Amino acid sequence: MAILVDKDTECIVQGITGKQGSFHTKLMLDYGTKIVGGCTPGKGGQEVHGLPVYDTVRECMERHPNVTCTSIWVPAAFTKDAVLEAIDAELKTVVIITERIPIHDMLVIRKKAKEKNVIVLGGNTPGVISPGKAKVGMLPESAFTEGRIGTVSRSGSITYYLGNTLALAGRGASTCVGIGGDPLIGTGYEPILKLFEEDPETNGILLAGEIGGIYEEMAADFIKTMKKPVVAYITGLQAPKGKRMGHAGAIIERGMGTAQSKVSALREAGARIATTFSDIPRLLEERGV
Amino acid sequence: MRLYEFEAKHLMEKSKIPVPQSMLIKNPDEAKKAAEDLGKVALKAQALVGGRAKAGGVLFADTPKEAEEKAETLLNMKISGYKVHSVLAEQFLDIKKELYLSVTIDRIRHQPVIIASSEGGIDIEDISRKYPEKVITHHIPVGESISPYLGREIARQIGLKGKDLTTVGAVITRMYNLFLKYDGKLLEINPLAVTDAGFFAADAVFNLDEDALYRHPDLKEMGISVRHELGELSEREKKAQEYGFPYVDLEGYVGVFPGGAGFGIAAIDLIKKYGGEPANFMDSGGGPTVENMERMIGLLMDNPKVTGIFGARFGGISRCDLWAEAVIGYLKKRAGEGKEIKPMIMRMTGHMEKEGQELFERAKKENPVLFENVKVYGIETPIEDVIIEAVNVAKERRG
Repeated sequence: MAILVDKDTECIVQGITGKQGSFHTKLMLDYGTKIVGGCTPGKGGQEVHGLPVYDTVRECMERHPNVTCTSIWVPAAFTKDAVLEAIDAELKTVVIITERIPIHDMLVIRKKAKEKNVIVLGGNTPGVISPGKAKVGMLPESAFTEGRIGTVSRSGSITYYLGNTLALAGRGASTCVGIGGDPLIGTGYEPILKLFEEDPETNGILLAGEIGGIYEEMAADFIKTMKKPVVAYITGLQAPKGKRMGHAGAIIERGMGTAQSKVSALREAGARIATTFSDIPRLLEERGV
Repeated sequence: MRLYEFEAKHLMEKSKIPVPQSMLIKNPDEAKKAAEDLGKVALKAQALVGGRAKAGGVLFADTPKEAEEKAETLLNMKISGYKVHSVLAEQFLDIKKELYLSVTIDRIRHQPVIIASSEGGIDIEDISRKYPEKVITHHIPVGESISPYLGREIARQIGLKGKDLTTVGAVITRMYNLFLKYDGKLLEINPLAVTDAGFFAADAVFNLDEDALYRHPDLKEMGISVRHELGELSEREKKAQEYGFPYVDLEGYVGVFPGGAGFGIAAIDLIKKYGGEPANFMDSGGGPTVENMERMIGLLMDNPKVTGIFGARFGGISRCDLWAEAVIGYLKKRAGEGKEIKPMIMRMTGHMEKEGQELFERAKKENPVLFENVKVYGIETPIEDVIIEAVNVAKERRG
């Protein structure tokens, strides 16, 4: 089954006529992703790599009612509009490749996504890949091999190294998910962990987090309830201390956001903590996966 | 992205949030004139950093002569490494009591939140820990503006009555609207000073979302553009900022050319873990231009502390062959200029990896001496083996 994307998942590409959108559409098709069309306002009727281009997502859905997943390759200024269009058209998974989306736009996206139970990955995600089946985004497929570990990470480059680490250890992944490197993202760890917990093809979960933000801490409560083992790799323990701004953040967040606070929260929740990539296969083994 | 206090207060004044009468000062002579106009003044160093009062960045002057002398002191000082931009001379406030007001984004609930307390001042965080009941938080639904009654209700909850309640209530509502209008991340008045002459924002912090700056052309007209916030920059950091890639100098000797920022952070952890000291943090991901790649490697090669460079490339967007071409081209150019080539221990993988490896092999054949200390591993070598080798090489060369 894998999660989020499978070989039968029908996908579209928003911003398919742009340079990046078009380039990666080709790579996704080559990998086996079932892309049925794309969307660029005002360019309906054109074709990209033999795929039909539509003006609106609704129009696309009228022709291809089984589409559930989209990736967004439009500039940051148009991203909110593109995502809301996808959510309104009842898509279930939205992958925002675009980075540096205004925070107040992300608040609106996140609220809508929650209301309609949509998984929004990103901004600033390399996407999601179920190795050997399908990928949505720009992940380099050579990093990933098929297996039974689910990975979830904020950083794109770390996602590649996790896939690569599993592959070199003779393991492999069921699905690798980038939830996005922007400071405020559409979906935290928890909804992804939930999907892995329920996925019969995933035996254990590898979670990567990094200094800054509070998404790792927010995942701790759910990890406590999980049956499948979780190994967490947190980076930034040696990062130079940044400066803090104002008091309001400290009043609300109370000491969260450091690499150490993430390690503590996840360890307390029952995750095993890796401090290097090479720790990962060993810790997974120790947890019986 | 933080604004200077004077910029924040200018925007607040335009939104009818009461601020003290003031003048912005760039030289001691102007301070003298300001004190002649305003009487007793508070002189406040303008720098993009908190903790100013504790660093001696706020002085008071009773007379124009005193103002002149003290302004000179402030204009020449640095606060936490920041040069002072200018001095804000404000009419002295005889403060009876201090309130705390702020608007920010609660990153746990993903909602804007208004925070208010009757106990403002520099100890607000202690107060919020010890007496949480003295700090009111009120979350606002995403995408909604607020009606003025909410400002009044919050004012009531921090114990205000009568005219004070309506005045501070209006300040809260206007703060929220200002926060929304400019894509704020934080708008903080601490303290809101209670004086016999009314309420005044004695200090103000306004942080904006730099990724949304493009939709506020009026700020650009005020001279507010994207600015750096990491303390005083080293020469290398200034260069990197000018070229447009994130770079931070660290203390060590292993140059880090890591690819994406996420792995850059991991590389620093790992270099330390394996007994080395990283010389820098850098984000060289996302497919930098050939020009910027040359600048990135150049920065590391030119850093006298660096004795070896760790490089990594995991092609997500751009191609390995182009990356290889840029690295090789730069090293040849550099050698042609007679500059030192320090050892580079790298790993390159992703799109067009094979073609990239072939380019390095050819370069090695053509220039065995130049590329003697340039090693490029591929996907079959674990990244940590490459880091360990880079650390050892850099250490050895250090003697």
